[in-house]
Amino acid sequence: MPELLMNAQPVLSLRLSASYPGRPAVLRDLALDVRPREILGLVGQSGCGKSTMALAILKLLFLKGGKMSGSIQFNGRDLLPLKEKEMRGLRGKEIALVSQSPISSLNPALRIRTQMEEAWNIHRRTTREECTRAVLGALESVSLPADETFLRQYPAQLSVGQAQRVLIAMAVLHRPPLLIADEPTSALDIIIQSEVLELFSSLSRKLGMSILYISHDLLSVAKISHRVAVMSQGEIVECRKTAELFTNPLHAYTRKLIAALPVAPAFSSGETLVYPEHATMIAGAELKTPNLTM
Amino acid sequence: MKVARITALAFLVVVSAACLFADFVAPAPYARQFRDVPDAAPSHQHLLGTDSLGRDRFSRVLYGTRVSLLLAPAAALLASILAALIGGTAGFVGGWLERCVMAATDLFLSLPWLFLLITVRALLPLNTAPFTSVLITFALLGCLGWAAAARVICADARTFCQSDFILRARASGSGGFRLLWRHIVPNLKPVLYAQFWIAVPVFILAEANLGALGLGVAEPLPSWGSLLRELESFSPLSSQPWQFVPLVLLIAVVSCFHLAMKKQELSV
Repeated sequence: MPELLMNAQPVLSLRLSASYPGRPAVLRDLALDVRPREILGLVGQSGCGKSTMALAILKLLFLKGGKMSGSIQFNGRDLLPLKEKEMRGLRGKEIALVSQSPISSLNPALRIRTQMEEAWNIHRRTTREECTRAVLGALESVSLPADETFLRQYPAQLSVGQAQRVLIAMAVLHRPPLLIADEPTSALDIIIQSEVLELFSSLSRKLGMSILYISHDLLSVAKISHRVAVMSQGEIVECRKTAELFTNPLHAYTRKLIAALPVAPAFSSGETLVYPEHATMIAGAELKTPNLTM
Repeated sequence: MKVARITALAFLVVVSAACLFADFVAPAPYARQFRDVPDAAPSHQHLLGTDSLGRDRFSRVLYGTRVSLLLAPAAALLASILAALIGGTAGFVGGWLERCVMAATDLFLSLPWLFLLITVRALLPLNTAPFTSVLITFALLGCLGWAAAARVICADARTFCQSDFILRARASGSGGFRLLWRHIVPNLKPVLYAQFWIAVPVFILAEANLGALGLGVAEPLPSWGSLLRELESFSPLSSQPWQFVPLVLLIAVVSCFHLAMKKQELSV
């Protein structure tokens, strides 16, 4: 990431506290900045408040009965005092969300074309041709077939990977300055996961978009993020460049997270296995611990 | 099961076609009196005989079936639309509105439906023109028959509101009426469809009940209800079994409606 942008005015600057009925202080004076064209990874264990933060940025916390205070500075404008109608104008167009359950996040009763056109028409009044062009362009940008056969399908006819790409295509339809990806790879197998991560990287480069990449999977965050913020019990305990964080973690919780990373076992010939039939399966396999430095 | 469904559908199509084209199929107008042959037995001229006023019973069955078969779906459509508006809005908005609307719905459901129907119908003008009486009867059925469907639709709309795809739609900038119309209503369609088909036979029977009590469609226009009133006089029945034809047709049509529905539609 160019040093110039690291010092640029943040696209998003958060100072947030949030709570749910019966669960006070889910977010505790959380402070976080996302800079232009940056991919900021946010990690933390399940239940630490990552998804709450994603909803809070979009001011959708009320759907879960949550309340929040503080400030959400987006491109120099505080979103917290904005009315619901003004927020609707920003959601999807300026700040987009990609959620973690691809199939259930698509409307099961509507064809892909209808859903994508609807996502376009919410914010733009254009001709049908322009709308179709935008939809096809978005599908192409996420390496999905931009043809009528694909557009006529229902979500249930797609694979999980395709559904996630459709969600990403819908999110980038308006080329928003900020994309929040809330555990977008948690439902995907490892191959598709890798492809989707690569897709986020290339979209960020091509569209000049900032991405707040939320995950509990430290490895996937490390793969694409310029910086990583570590969240614990509603607070950001550490936020640094990815390589620095992994090579020299400062906070005890970060060290604990890194120490808990799975290490692939290395097998040498002649080693006795508990189940001999596994020997055939892993014969010749050379497993290495992933390289974490960027 | 598939054979039964196809047979039921075929039967409904034949009956519907016969009554829709009753003007061509019926041997005589429904109100024409053959005064020289009252209470006649079936013959070439009168396939199901005549009633006590000398009217051709076959023609009256055809026209009566047309009234019931056309207006019961119309009433079911009205009830389904009301259920969608009331239940859908309550489920979508939630909070105190949902609680108030559902409390009113529960109150409505706790009243004996047929008794309510008879009471309200008795409060409305009884001495009206046949066509007005048809409209009043079926509008009443539609207006009073929405509650059960509204409860189902409210629960469904509530579930959809909490679903991931609605959260995604909100995160895309959708909201308010647009969210309801573009995202929730398409998902409610199967439930509405099932509720509609369940209501049709119920309303046919309700009209027949009202008609049998003299509160339904006014004479001389026939309906299944008014045709069943003939069965009130028991004595000549043993000698005139053809008087049971409207009852048999009613049972057959209502049964065919249930057979024609898919299993999943009935289970909604």
